[in-house]
Amino acid sequence: MIDIFSTPALVTIILGSVALLIPILDALNKERGSKNKVYSAIAFGALALALAVVISRIFTGENLPALSLTNNGVIADDIFGAFFSIAFLIVSIMVTVSSWSYMKKKSNHAAYYSLILLSSIGMILIGYSTDFVMLLVAWELMSIPTYALAAFSKRDPVSNEAAIKYFLFGALSSAIIILGMGIVYGLTGTTNIYDSVVGMTTLNPDLMPFALLAVALFIAGFGFKMGLVPFHMWLPDTYSGAPTTIATLLAAGTKKAGFAAAIRVIVIGLIALNVHWTITLAIIAIFTMTLGNLGALTQKSIPRILAYSSIAQAGYILIGLAVAPYTNYGLDASLLQILNHAVMKSAAFVAAAAVIITIGAYTIEKYRGLGYRMPITALVLAVALLSLAGVPPLNGFWGKYLIFGSAIDAGDQAWWAPYLAIAGVLNSALSLGYYIWIIRKMYMEEGENRIRQKEPRPIVAVLLFALGFMVLFGIWYGPLLDLASMAVPNDLTHLIAAR
Amino acid sequence: MNQPTDFLYIAVILVSIGIYGLVVKRNALRLIFSIELIANAVNLALIAFSRMLPSPQGQIFVLFSIAISAAEVAVGLGIIIIAYRFYKDIDITEFRNLKN
Repeated sequence: MIDIFSTPALVTIILGSVALLIPILDALNKERGSKNKVYSAIAFGALALALAVVISRIFTGENLPALSLTNNGVIADDIFGAFFSIAFLIVSIMVTVSSWSYMKKKSNHAAYYSLILLSSIGMILIGYSTDFVMLLVAWELMSIPTYALAAFSKRDPVSNEAAIKYFLFGALSSAIIILGMGIVYGLTGTTNIYDSVVGMTTLNPDLMPFALLAVALFIAGFGFKMGLVPFHMWLPDTYSGAPTTIATLLAAGTKKAGFAAAIRVIVIGLIALNVHWTITLAIIAIFTMTLGNLGALTQKSIPRILAYSSIAQAGYILIGLAVAPYTNYGLDASLLQILNHAVMKSAAFVAAAAVIITIGAYTIEKYRGLGYRMPITALVLAVALLSLAGVPPLNGFWGKYLIFGSAIDAGDQAWWAPYLAIAGVLNSALSLGYYIWIIRKMYMEEGENRIRQKEPRPIVAVLLFALGFMVLFGIWYGPLLDLASMAVPNDLTHLIAAR
Repeated sequence: MNQPTDFLYIAVILVSIGIYGLVVKRNALRLIFSIELIANAVNLALIAFSRMLPSPQGQIFVLFSIAISAAEVAVGLGIIIIAYRFYKDIDITEFRNLKN
């Protein structure tokens, strides 16, 4: 039975009622004229309230479990879900506030903000779900609004093409996930994630190939959203074609939801099946970061570079998942990097959106001299890029440092783990190539002029928040790391010992 | 033709047809058909499993799955109709604006 006062239920009620209220208000409102600001403010209020609920539940509520494995319900009120909710809500708030400027000249504002809220509910519920049916419903609640949002610029063929690619791959990924869930249900006779994982360990050895097929299907299905390498083809096209604020939501929000689902299902499932299969995640991680960084080096458009860079970042995060069975803080490091990456990537995409609405520039050549024309945007973009590259003392450094540290730590039990750390460090060096290139264009080269442009104020607010987050939690990373390690159960390694 | 396993064989055949369609066809509508074929094959398999085990959860799962794929296809068809207005064609190989 779902407790109505548990965090996921409260957050769903807050966001869901506001998401349904906005279109009703729009239908009732007979006045002409854009209500963009009003809806943006309402959506922002709902998201901020939800964030306050989630954070207050962590610190003042009764002791929440870390990652509740043994749960009979469909959703569990645990810190793992709360951690992901914080990341998703921060991203949604940044998207909503920056849309205030981005959507000014466009139409259908009510539907836009309502869909963002619905998609946020889906993402949050993925973090909390402990049952395959709930996971599927939440997954689709996250995905379906974003298909519509990617196609939001109706008169723009590029936005439409981005949406078609996103929709086809997204629909395929959900079909693959249902296939995996169907196989697991057939093998174990339950849709509860933990019960089915336990059922897998006592499986008849003849049926083992089917269990591995199911895990492979889950990796493929969730991998489409996470942008892992054999499944990443749609990602650069969609991120560059979709409205840039929506690209923010996709890169920083739905991608992380894929990781939430992957940790809930794949990592726990692999630990139960056979630990040695985590080497597949390691191989995917190496290919993902290398191809992502190589792809970014050849691109000329900033959203595309950011899209490829987010593929590479998914590779770094996956290292933590791959070494999770061998070390205590593999998942801690991944979670820390997930939250950090959500903020860094949102900041970079929002800065790109600011440049697009102010001077209409997409390509890197047009970014020349941006340091004089849009000083705040250029500064935050530069800091975000350095943070993505992992330059200390920004927050991106600690995530990467802990991920590579955990990979080396796991070397005692898995011979391949230290190679992951080496590949990660080499890739970070490679990625500096294009990050520094953008910064050099912005500050070292002369642009068309040095006239200072008026930067949209809501976006400046979002960027300054992100700047504060990146610098503050770069210097003082302790609280975030504590939160991340609260979210991961200490007995994850006991689970293996029990095998 | 009344054993639950027969339905599983049919489900496997349907999944194979769906994968074949995804690999060979380049028409956006046919791709959606293929994806739906896979999803519906799984629905069939879930009901067969539910009968074999026996457990009611599979049938509940199918109800959710059907409703969700209907919503998904509705959004997808909307996007494809807009694409048809732009290109007068829904061949996905035509959509190449983003490559440059």
